[in-house]
Amino acid sequence: MSGDALLAVTGLTAGYGPVEVLHGLDFTVGEGEIVVILGANGAGKTTTMRAVSGMIPRQGTVEFGGVDISGAKPDAIVRAGVSQVPQGRGTFTDLTVEDNLECGGYTVKGSIAEDLERWYGVFPRLAERRDQKAGSLSGGEQQMLAVARAMMSRPKLLLCDEPSLGLAPLITKELFKVLGNLRDEHGMSLLIVEQNAGMSLALADRAYVLETGSIVATGTGDELLADDTIKEAYLGVVN
Amino acid sequence: MSLFIERLVNGLADGSIYALLALALVVVFRSTGQLNFAQGEIGTLGAFVVSTLTLSGLPVWLSILLAMVVGFVISAGVERVVVRPIEHRNPGAVIVALIGVFLAVNQLVAMFWGVDARGLPNVFPDQADDFVTIFGAPIRVARLGVIGVLIVVLLLLWLMFNKTRIGLAMRAVANNQESSNLVGIRVGTILVVGWGLAGAIGVLAAALLAPSAGLTGTLMLGPFLLASVAAVLGGLDSPVGAVVGGLIIGLTEAFMVGYVDFLGADMLFPVMLVILLVVLLLRPSGLFGSERVERV
Amino acid sequence: MNLPVRVVKGSWQNWLGRVVLFGGVGLFMFRAMNEWSRSGLGLLTDALIIAIAVTGLNLITGYTGQLSLGHAAFFAIGAFTSAMLVTGKVWSPFFTDNIWTPGWTMPVAAVVCFLVGMVVGIPALRLKGIYLALVTLVFTEAVRALFKYGEFEGVTGGATGIKGFGYLPPSWTGLDGRADLVEWFFWLSLAILVVVSILSAGLLRSRIGRAMVAVRDNETAAAVMGVNLFSIKTLVFGLSGAIAGVAGSLYALKLTLVDADIPIFGLFGSVTLLVALVVGGAAQNWGPFVGAMFYVFVNDFARGVGEAPSDAAILGWFVDSGTKINGLGGVTFGVLLILFARFVPFGAVGTMRMWRSKLVQVVPRVPAVAGVVAGRSSGPLGEEGSGSVDPTPSSIGAVESPGPIDPDRPDSPS
Repeated sequence: MSGDALLAVTGLTAGYGPVEVLHGLDFTVGEGEIVVILGANGAGKTTTMRAVSGMIPRQGTVEFGGVDISGAKPDAIVRAGVSQVPQGRGTFTDLTVEDNLECGGYTVKGSIAEDLERWYGVFPRLAERRDQKAGSLSGGEQQMLAVARAMMSRPKLLLCDEPSLGLAPLITKELFKVLGNLRDEHGMSLLIVEQNAGMSLALADRAYVLETGSIVATGTGDELLADDTIKEAYLGVVN
Repeated sequence: MSLFIERLVNGLADGSIYALLALALVVVFRSTGQLNFAQGEIGTLGAFVVSTLTLSGLPVWLSILLAMVVGFVISAGVERVVVRPIEHRNPGAVIVALIGVFLAVNQLVAMFWGVDARGLPNVFPDQADDFVTIFGAPIRVARLGVIGVLIVVLLLLWLMFNKTRIGLAMRAVANNQESSNLVGIRVGTILVVGWGLAGAIGVLAAALLAPSAGLTGTLMLGPFLLASVAAVLGGLDSPVGAVVGGLIIGLTEAFMVGYVDFLGADMLFPVMLVILLVVLLLRPSGLFGSERVERV
Repeated sequence: MNLPVRVVKGSWQNWLGRVVLFGGVGLFMFRAMNEWSRSGLGLLTDALIIAIAVTGLNLITGYTGQLSLGHAAFFAIGAFTSAMLVTGKVWSPFFTDNIWTPGWTMPVAAVVCFLVGMVVGIPALRLKGIYLALVTLVFTEAVRALFKYGEFEGVTGGATGIKGFGYLPPSWTGLDGRADLVEWFFWLSLAILVVVSILSAGLLRSRIGRAMVAVRDNETAAAVMGVNLFSIKTLVFGLSGAIAGVAGSLYALKLTLVDADIPIFGLFGSVTLLVALVVGGAAQNWGPFVGAMFYVFVNDFARGVGEAPSDAAILGWFVDSGTKINGLGGVTFGVLLILFARFVPFGAVGTMRMWRSKLVQVVPRVPAVAGVVAGRSSGPLGEEGSGSVDPTPSSIGAVESPGPIDPDRPDSPS
């Protein structure tokens, strides 16, 4: 299932101790694509993200840019060009905004000054607060910081774990606009796992539906948006 | 007045030793949430290494530096070999393992160096006439030297934590290990370095204490306990707190002996209990510690 | 036969298992009494006394999750209380000549320590984890300093301590008149350990016991569910202190002297008790006993490693008989502790339970609700994870799961 896909995952199986959470997932992310994995609580979304990032032991194959990263450690995966925006932001709350960004650029050899300026340009509010402790930022600002931090490592693929979690709808809209821009203007590929079906499916090029550790449906964003069962299950629309 | 100055300097000097040890404890606690029970004993071992090296002819300052390297290696090894595998399975069992390390290192010293007390040359000039006069009080240069070392160490640590890449990584790991992994920091390496650094600082503290206290296997037992109290007083995740705590304890000790006649030195712990209770009941995470917000 | 075998709690198979277990231990005790040497029996008695104290510690640290490094203080207070009462150093209107019958000093020690324990429980309301542990540690040394204080010499014996008292066996035991009190103290300690264990187990089965575990697993949730944190913490600290006090009292009577410099009355003692608890298995009924036995006997063995009294001892293979290598015993014991923590991290009893449950599982009578006992039930010796979720309980004692884990409802985040 490789070929053109930037990220190709086959038979991904992972869990915690004796409990298996993911039962052999297959999915791909192409270059310049936004792929959404939709799932309710307990479906295995975060587990999927952690597995791809190498944070937990996993079986199956993960290929990135043609290279097998199935057994790689987290830092090697970051160096390969995969960066994650974790669930709940995961900002370094005791460190300043600028510290956070510098951490994001930890794996970059050479100067990151240009990267800093670039992302301060995309997120001017972060520039204003560059010496503030990250923990004092609002939820939306922290989410922007988490995205900017992830971008500092010059990734080709951005993983986003429930970016809308805990954010007001207006902020979420702004956030998704930013994510879309990353694809359109910066040529990024994104893999987003979400519960929020409406906004994410509208943004997505393709999407998968994850239910208790298995993929049960796939299609383009529009196709799934129009699908009745999806509508009922995830959009609360009763026909 | 001159007595006051003398006691003040003594208190600050002893307090500096407690502060250094407390700093070592805080460095470890911030990154792994564990209290390194064996910190003092590794220091003692290092002090004996200094003794052996100086006896074979090396200058004192060089012996101390080499012994600090030994302390770094041993402490780093403890994290990698003892703490990490156990923490994986049951964090609660780490305490027992560290107590085991405490005992093993303590007795290792007895094995290789025997149980007799010995002296340790002072890295600072320590002859009978090496003192300066401040406000009429004779202050030994060596004691001022200890305070000076604390200041230098603080400066170096500040530079490291705030101006270097590895210092940034250490602060990140102390704050959020998972996110550190996600930005590509090798968390394991950072932990090992943190523990190693603490070990080196512990050896330095011991090497500074031994010349005046005498070098025996029990050198760091009391100071370790006092340093732990200092670290808790100041807030276990605050380097500033460690230093403030250490100095407070050193000063309390010095002034109790001098000024509080009816209590005397033996009542140090009851007094410390009172101080601890007062501070912690007002600020349960220590003077400078950060309250951890719990998600229920 | 299908493994694991399911045994219903309270069934005859369950009772048979218990009889076998207790019978086995009882048999061991009888044999020890009849065949062991004086010194071996004395060592065993020490282990029993420590087991009593650790049973107390288990209540507050193992089951309620409040890390205490202060139990040596209760041990000391109990010991000194007995010493002071028996030698008449403390005025009391209850007995003539102010001399107490030694046996009665033990309940008094329990009451005194209960009151002190309750007071110690108050800081536990504000302090968590290592902060509490260190305060209790300082408390231990503070108590010891008070007992040593010169000004109190008339009452506490000051720097020299109190000597010259003891506890002779009463006539109904049939052990009186002997010069050797070893058997007497062995039986006394064993009896008290059994009583304390039964009371402790009973407490744990009660509402208070459930409240204790709730506090350990999640204080805020417990408070929300109606548990009075103040009552529980002070009560349990009091009870656990009382138990440790009885142990201390027994220890003093056996030793016939108390001295503030005895290591077990200070920091060393508190650490010993904690190590014994974790090694045996915290939050396990048999944990204190197993842990105390381990501590005392492995310590003795390790000490022997450093000395080569005869060619038969292990060290005798390498060096001439009669040599003593300083410190080797301590290094051995330290290394053994490390190995133990590494390979038996949930304590001997906890680990044995895990193996046993592969063969035999005790299930409740009512069908168990499928689901994991999971959540972040971290005990005080297990720090809270930084946001990572682990469905396996990470408390210092292995929590008994109510039944098989249902893989269709894993307790992981989405």
